[in-house]
Amino acid sequence: MQTFKVMGRATENLREKAKKFLTKQAHLPYVGPISLWIIVFVFAPLGVILYFSLLTIGPYGQIIHTFTLENYLALVKVGFAKVFLRTILFAFGANMVCLLIGYPIAYFIVRHGGRWKTLLVFLVILPSWTCYLIRLFALKTLTDSSGLINSALLSLGLISSPLGILYTPYAVMLGLIYTWIPFMVLPIYAALEGLDPSLLEAAVDLGATPLRRFFTVTLPLTKGGIFAGTILVFIPSLGEWLVPLLLGGAKNMMAGNLVSIYFIKAGNIPAGCSIATALTALVILIIYLCMKLGGEEALERIV
Amino acid sequence: MGNRESILCVELRNVVKRFPGVTAVDHVSLKVEQGKVFSLLGPSGCGKTTALRLVAGLETLDEGDVLIDGKVINDVPPYYRDCSTVFQTLALFPHMTVEGNIAYGLERRKVPKDEIGKRVGKMLELMELGGMEKRRPTQLSGGQRQRVALARSLVLNPKILLLDEPLASLDRKLRKEMQVELKRIQREVGITFLYVTHDQKVALSISDIIAVMRAGKLEQIGIPNEIYETPRTKFIADFMGAINIFSGKIIASGDGKVQLETESGSRVIAPENKDIRSEEVTGISIHPELVELLPVEAGLEGDNRFRGKIVEMIYQGDFIETKISLDQTGEPITAYLSSIQDRESQFSPGEEVLVHWSLESSNILLD
Amino acid sequence: MRSWKITPKVLPTLVTLFYTFLWAPAIVLIVLSFSNNKYGIKWEGFTLRWYAHIYNNVGVRNALTSSLFIASVTVVVATIAGTLAAYGLYKYKFRGRKFLRTSILLPITIPYIVTAGALLVFYTQVIHIPLGYPGIIIAHISFSVPLAVFVVLGRMARIDWTLEEASTDLGGDRLTTWRKITLPLLLPAILASAALIFPWSFNDFTITYFVAGLGTTTLPIYVFSQLQYGTSGPVINTIGTIFITLPFITLLLMNFLQKKEVT
Repeated sequence: MQTFKVMGRATENLREKAKKFLTKQAHLPYVGPISLWIIVFVFAPLGVILYFSLLTIGPYGQIIHTFTLENYLALVKVGFAKVFLRTILFAFGANMVCLLIGYPIAYFIVRHGGRWKTLLVFLVILPSWTCYLIRLFALKTLTDSSGLINSALLSLGLISSPLGILYTPYAVMLGLIYTWIPFMVLPIYAALEGLDPSLLEAAVDLGATPLRRFFTVTLPLTKGGIFAGTILVFIPSLGEWLVPLLLGGAKNMMAGNLVSIYFIKAGNIPAGCSIATALTALVILIIYLCMKLGGEEALERIV
Repeated sequence: MGNRESILCVELRNVVKRFPGVTAVDHVSLKVEQGKVFSLLGPSGCGKTTALRLVAGLETLDEGDVLIDGKVINDVPPYYRDCSTVFQTLALFPHMTVEGNIAYGLERRKVPKDEIGKRVGKMLELMELGGMEKRRPTQLSGGQRQRVALARSLVLNPKILLLDEPLASLDRKLRKEMQVELKRIQREVGITFLYVTHDQKVALSISDIIAVMRAGKLEQIGIPNEIYETPRTKFIADFMGAINIFSGKIIASGDGKVQLETESGSRVIAPENKDIRSEEVTGISIHPELVELLPVEAGLEGDNRFRGKIVEMIYQGDFIETKISLDQTGEPITAYLSSIQDRESQFSPGEEVLVHWSLESSNILLD
Repeated sequence: MRSWKITPKVLPTLVTLFYTFLWAPAIVLIVLSFSNNKYGIKWEGFTLRWYAHIYNNVGVRNALTSSLFIASVTVVVATIAGTLAAYGLYKYKFRGRKFLRTSILLPITIPYIVTAGALLVFYTQVIHIPLGYPGIIIAHISFSVPLAVFVVLGRMARIDWTLEEASTDLGGDRLTTWRKITLPLLLPAILASAALIFPWSFNDFTITYFVAGLGTTTLPIYVFSQLQYGTSGPVINTIGTIFITLPFITLLLMNFLQKKEVT
């Protein structure tokens, strides 16, 4: 009899403790599933890549499970470095052009858009909602030697032989800009829209000509938008694969292409993983630098 | 005694400004004298802010002329005009320090760096902002921000300072303090103020001249006493708090007095004004604080004495708002009973009283 | 009266050029899809035969069905998971909250190609699931949940949560409050995220291509293979036109949803 009573009290104690614990964990049913998902399907695969990057393949293409750094050492070779450098250059160049074109566009929409503002903004966003394989294909068709641009220029007599636009570095840049410019225009537009017009009036009232006002007031106050745009353009461009594949050809490969070549063509998973890891490291480094320069606020704004 | 004609700092000649659907400024003409505080007073939407912005150059005129210092400046852009605006929202640059904000106009004028430093320093002293130079606007209190905005405009030594309801966002106590500050600074620097406000108390306390605006037009210009004690229209009377407004016509005159009969039949006596034709008079207004409440026994002999019943007494802290209904005509009268009077007389709702105001308290209305 | 506001004449021209540049390829594509040219590269008269062709084409139909299936499953799972996650993130303070918030963003920050490769290796070498629908759907969910989370989170900040309190005060338990109050309040955001996720999943190429394996073909993959074999330009033009009209449909949907939100 005694023992039952003691047991009863013990289980009640436990139940109390469990209840208290559970109410404290009220968030679990909400964030639990997604946390588990992220661990299994996001963190794990990334860990796996890291793991495999430290392995090599044998003569028959099977994976040898001994740790080695030879994949990374191979990366230091000139060929790879060239590709990575080209990747950074292309991405950065595309980013700058997007900024130089995107800012005036956003400015125009905000200042002179009037009733058409929303329409103009949507016309910029909509392309980014289209399958970008199709967009790139369309661009390719247009710039091909038998494509419209060339036939138009030829028939107008402005050129004597078709311009070799495709398969040049310019084509890759063009493709990058074409794909990512909406993401530069949008944050800058948001930043400009949020500008307090009385600040602009104050500047002019205090003696700033419109040009000076732009550089001393408008530009500094839209810095956040510029940084947000940069993060949304520069980072994805670094990881690009399809643009160089379709528009660049073998001579204008970016880091992403290397990954796919090793994974698919060569079937060399460890090597592919090492390039993937290197690319990820590069991206994280650039994100870190951008945050340092632009501050956390830029990220908050995108989110 | 000096020049016959005072120096005109700013002048508006028949200025018109239209926006789609409304004429914001409708043929307004005014003259602002050098060194004076000129207020544009009126309810929101009356066009006073637009008029100010026309002087600043932040709006372009449709008709008429704006002159600063005798020169027509209609086509001159705001950054070349010799006036400076203190905005309602203050518009302090959030990305610059206090120093940076104050120095902004000077930098745009290419003033040499050391001179900028000196002038900014002096201004910081004048505004009692010492020690705040490196702070950002968000780190300042409301009153401090106010002073930075003022400093920023004053450091440029403009011919005229344009102020657009700068005290609107401050709490009551701070507003009173800043009013005094503004007046002091204006006197010290000797600069001309064009002040826009909807608050008649502010206008009365700081202005040398008040111009009341309604629906784009000027209704009355005068010194504060005139505007308060002798408003010329029902609108202005009401706006200035002379809430006892009766429509009526003059039925007799003589002996330096005129008698007006209101629509409900009350007979009010007002002083005669030779400059006004009897036919033009449309009513009378009396300030509630000028209405005296006496016990019924005091008697009905004399001007402007009426019997009435107290309908309501509302405690307002510094006075008691008392509403009386006149026995003979049912006309409502409001009196502001001071605390002293109340203690002496101990009136209460439902009581019969004698309502009285002096001859001079009756104000003739022309519209 | 001269206006002193800054309006360089150059700007409108630049803007027109920009929009032309942005839309010309798409418009050309749409036009060419109606062209009677064998290679689909220039205009040779109006025809609908290519549309008839893809209507009858089994490959296209299967690819379309696959894409729709994957997108539908993704939308359902991702919106549910995302909404729950957003709710948890907004309402509760717990250890690792900031970390979770950043982690959710991870799939989007890392280059697609890296995630694609990572998943490929993970599926084949570690958990050994066959490439195809399961792998694709898992990948799509990972990418779509962030979208759902942030759309719903954004809306949550603007909701009056005292309504939930009122519900509990009047006697509603957790489940009832969720059903009657929370869900209806969040519905516009949930639908909005669905409207964003569906096209994203439908459009995705890179990730899907890597983890699809040999047996599964989505519409973008179909287009890519056509591209590689260089066979049918017109077919790609027609399918491309379908892809281009998708965003407009999404836009109309979102507009419709916004109107519903107002009432």
